[in-house]
Amino acid sequence: MTFVDGRHPTRRLGLTYLLGGTLGLVAAVALTLEKLATLADPDHVPSCSLNPVISCGTVMASPQASAFGFPNPLLGIAGFAVVSTVGVVLLAGARLPRWFQWGLQAGTTFGAGFVHWLIGASLYDIHALCPYCLAVWIAVVPLFVLTTVETLRRHDRTRRAAAALARVDVALVVAWYVVIAALVLQAFWDYWITLVH
Amino acid sequence: MTRTTRNPVTARSRLSPNVLITLVVLVVAALVFGGVLLTQRGDDDVTPDSLRGPDANTVLDAGDEAVTIVEFLDYQCPACAGYYSGITRQLEEDYAGRITFVVRNFPLQAHPLARQAAAAAEAAALQGRFAEMYRALYDNFTGWALAPGGQSVSDDTGRAAALFDDYARTAGLDVERFRRDITSDEVRSRIEADLAAGREAGVTGTPTIFVDGTRFEPAGSSYADVAAELRSLLDDRLNP
Repeated sequence: MTFVDGRHPTRRLGLTYLLGGTLGLVAAVALTLEKLATLADPDHVPSCSLNPVISCGTVMASPQASAFGFPNPLLGIAGFAVVSTVGVVLLAGARLPRWFQWGLQAGTTFGAGFVHWLIGASLYDIHALCPYCLAVWIAVVPLFVLTTVETLRRHDRTRRAAAALARVDVALVVAWYVVIAALVLQAFWDYWITLVH
Repeated sequence: MTRTTRNPVTARSRLSPNVLITLVVLVVAALVFGGVLLTQRGDDDVTPDSLRGPDANTVLDAGDEAVTIVEFLDYQCPACAGYYSGITRQLEEDYAGRITFVVRNFPLQAHPLARQAAAAAEAAALQGRFAEMYRALYDNFTGWALAPGGQSVSDDTGRAAALFDDYARTAGLDVERFRRDITSDEVRSRIEADLAAGREAGVTGTPTIFVDGTRFEPAGSSYADVAAELRSLLDDRLNP
């Protein structure tokens, strides 16, 4: 059995999967429970509907919240459970085959694409934010970035690019967050400015 | 012979590119976001003239020297509609001839029809019927501003445009000209000027009211309380 040290890329990826997967899973479960509560009682006000801008109720009632004909958080429960499990598997020291890595790449790419479509819907169409959805946005970015670096590392032709990216992966994730934060700030400018005045 | 190994202390203290770039990104973001937010904060002391603006739209006009209310409003904001039905509509009747009541546009991004409604009010103003359109927009608020069911604001521009035409017809406007004016540069620049004046005066939400250049900050939580506060303020000004 080999010892995996803290800076080893596999351990880093495993930790990211475990933490990101758990964050996403908790958010998806919370959203599902709020959805069930809303179905049981149409007058139910979700715990995360604080004001006109921060309002899960508005977001959950939108057509985009059931993009595939059923509530999106069901996808999240399935997907993030897999992600956190893979995280544990990686931390346990398993070496996963290349085809499995491609599966992870496909899954996280779909997740990232879907989430960014939802970000667009939330900011420019629904005009409301939902805190649990924000947790999912936060979870998806590092999952996608680190999975992509790992996929690149697995192939000879892209290994050097992966090594270069790996040196700035945290910065890349943070910069990505900053861009999303800027878009959120811009889209709800009228609201934020009332908070600082 | 010189030592070629690096000092472990200084070696460890060097920041990795990851940490360094992260810090730079965060610092730049904090400076930019903070700077933009701070520069948008206004001053509470503004001159009555800049508040009132050139050729202001008035609901009541008792002349430039009279006690002047300036309200920044968004026609699709439910609280503004509440101010109208709970406070200012009655004020109009009770203080007619004694005060000047100026209305300025402050359409918020959160309200999809706010700008269209502001343009309708300005287009009516170009034909000298501002007050009529202002009242029509608020008297029929649920009709155009709210989605069916009344739970959320509407984004139905077509329905709003048809209703605005009706209000224009009722107010005796030339509807063809009204339609042209709504999309005109003149109307758009008037709305932009109001928004700029509002931001300069520190307006961040609607409704925001100034009485003789001083921001009115009501303590009451009901429209009746706020109305009483505003009335006592006006009475003090009218009978010093």
